[in-house]
Amino acid sequence: MNSANFANSLQTWIGIGPLWIWAIVSALAVLFLLALPFGGFATYVERKIAADMQDRVGPNRVGPYGILQFIADAFKMLGKEDFIPLGCDKFLFNLAPVLVVMGACAAFAALPLSKYLIGADVNIGILFILSVTTLIAPGILLGSWSSANKWSLLGGLRAAAQIVSYEIPVALSILPVILISGSLQIGRMVELQGWSWTAEGLKQFHFWNAFHNPFTFISMILLFIGGLAETNRIPFDLPEAESELVSGFNTEFSGMRFGLYALAEFADVFVMCAIVTALYLGGWQIPFLNLDELWVTLPTFLIALIQLTVFLAKTFTLVFVVMWLRWTLPRLRVDQLMGLCWKGLVPIALFNVLGTAAWMWIFKGQSIAQLLYKLVSG
Amino acid sequence: MMGAGALLRPRSKSNIGDKGIAYECGELPVGSAWVKFNIRFYVIAIVFIVFDVEMAAIFPPATIFRDAVLGQTPGLSPALVFLELFLFVGLLVAGLIYCWVRGDLEWVKGITGAVPKK
Amino acid sequence: MSNGLKLVLFAAQLLTVASAILVALHPNVLYASVSLLFAFLGVAVMFVYAGADFIAGAQVIVYVGGVTILILFAIMLTQWLYKMNLKDVPAKLGIPVVIVGVGLIPALYKVMRELAAFVEKNPAPDLEKFANLPKTGVIGQALLSNYVLPFEAITILLLGALVGAVWLARPR
Repeated sequence: MNSANFANSLQTWIGIGPLWIWAIVSALAVLFLLALPFGGFATYVERKIAADMQDRVGPNRVGPYGILQFIADAFKMLGKEDFIPLGCDKFLFNLAPVLVVMGACAAFAALPLSKYLIGADVNIGILFILSVTTLIAPGILLGSWSSANKWSLLGGLRAAAQIVSYEIPVALSILPVILISGSLQIGRMVELQGWSWTAEGLKQFHFWNAFHNPFTFISMILLFIGGLAETNRIPFDLPEAESELVSGFNTEFSGMRFGLYALAEFADVFVMCAIVTALYLGGWQIPFLNLDELWVTLPTFLIALIQLTVFLAKTFTLVFVVMWLRWTLPRLRVDQLMGLCWKGLVPIALFNVLGTAAWMWIFKGQSIAQLLYKLVSG
Repeated sequence: MMGAGALLRPRSKSNIGDKGIAYECGELPVGSAWVKFNIRFYVIAIVFIVFDVEMAAIFPPATIFRDAVLGQTPGLSPALVFLELFLFVGLLVAGLIYCWVRGDLEWVKGITGAVPKK
Repeated sequence: MSNGLKLVLFAAQLLTVASAILVALHPNVLYASVSLLFAFLGVAVMFVYAGADFIAGAQVIVYVGGVTILILFAIMLTQWLYKMNLKDVPAKLGIPVVIVGVGLIPALYKVMRELAAFVEKNPAPDLEKFANLPKTGVIGQALLSNYVLPFEAITILLLGALVGAVWLARPR
């Protein structure tokens, strides 16, 4: 598998400059063109969606339809007083948001935005994303500890326990896709989810992983639920419960520090939805269409753009569902949350792994689509 | 970004009056900022580590599973691979069931009725 | 290896060594465990340079995400553990430590000599060349064929650890 990453692509398209300049440019591009604007814009979108579901208008003063609201919020946060509570641990207080943001944003480097636009198609693709998002848990824990506030500490402990517990169903739900794809590289996993109208091609591609076999469909739902819990979103947002623990682990964080936490949360939501999209919903693959089999060969640039649009459309749909759930479902109590994880999701996830392995063994790795095709044609 | 904030924000002291004390819904903080020890956090962390190591150990065989099942790896028959995977996962399911039945996964002991047996 | 990559490796090694020293010598237990977190991250980067990318990922997932959280839970939930200070350790306990440390120096020297000779004979392959080789698959295949007994023994060990830990944590 060649390394199809941003830096290489940029170097081939633009042609000048050594590789390391393009590597830095692409890293900064991912951060400033993707993570930060998305984080900021997501706060605006969430408020608008919330308003719509609650039958009110939402922000509409700043810019047309209030679109520039998040920029105004950013300026407000930058200008706030740098409040440090008495008795807090200054070093950890400053370190915690940095760890959390690092964990959330570093995963962007490995997301498969298109066949030619992956920040770094590492050999351990999905393992890299999983490992980088585990940096968030110690960050939250240290931040809540250093606030010298027992409600923050309690919120942080619960948050860490929750994030850490739900990593198991998440990882176990990623396993069926690894079993099906035979590789940890995300680019490869998405490629295999293609479609082809020729018999040769159909032997290679097995359509979206969500419809590969019934177990993976359940796995996708489990991964989505686990992702909700990992990012502390409703119905799992007890750690930052607005009505119970004041604001949970980020009570004493104000101004830009809080902004960093909010940014990290939305970035993490994006990463989780992107993982579900890439692994189960075909990533940048268009359903029933194979861009390499068209009657005209499109330039790579155009293909990359189309695939990027498809990927973002799918991911944003999932992000919309995440926001929709926030205003629909009530919050789970902490023992219900833990019980759901260890007594519900983990057994189901283990069952899915074994089920997928059994299906792979019995049907020699073919998906439902491929089996139907065989039935119809042979 | 934190540096930009430092340049833009007005300077002010955090220890003016009562501003710096911990926020507790407007009341003065009661007691010290400590939480009584709850062993359930620790138990959950330990159970997590066990399952985490299990998953880290399953990842490499899972990577080769597809090739083994399609018969493309010499020396590994699909049935054998499936059996090994099944054994691995099965033993840990047994461990999970043990913890469940003995009530160690309960977050709040006594409320849902499952009290850990001696 | 390009200079940029070498710089990153050097930074990771420096981070690991500095964090390790802090872990051992910092008077505050909490800061020591935070340094441990950074030591783990540094080790993970070094694993990547040694070509063991899967091990690096497993290192971060298990150690940073699991063991660090475990240690932090223990420290944050135990008041006397947090108040423990390195300065409280009586100085006379340091004497046997120094004696053993000094006595180990010849052994350490010998080990370093042999390690240097080994590295001379087997130079590390080019990072860019072996970055794309299938390594995780090779580990998986080995685990399922040659090392299947240790593979299954791992799960029995984990089972024992699980049962033992929850048994210890039960109220008496």
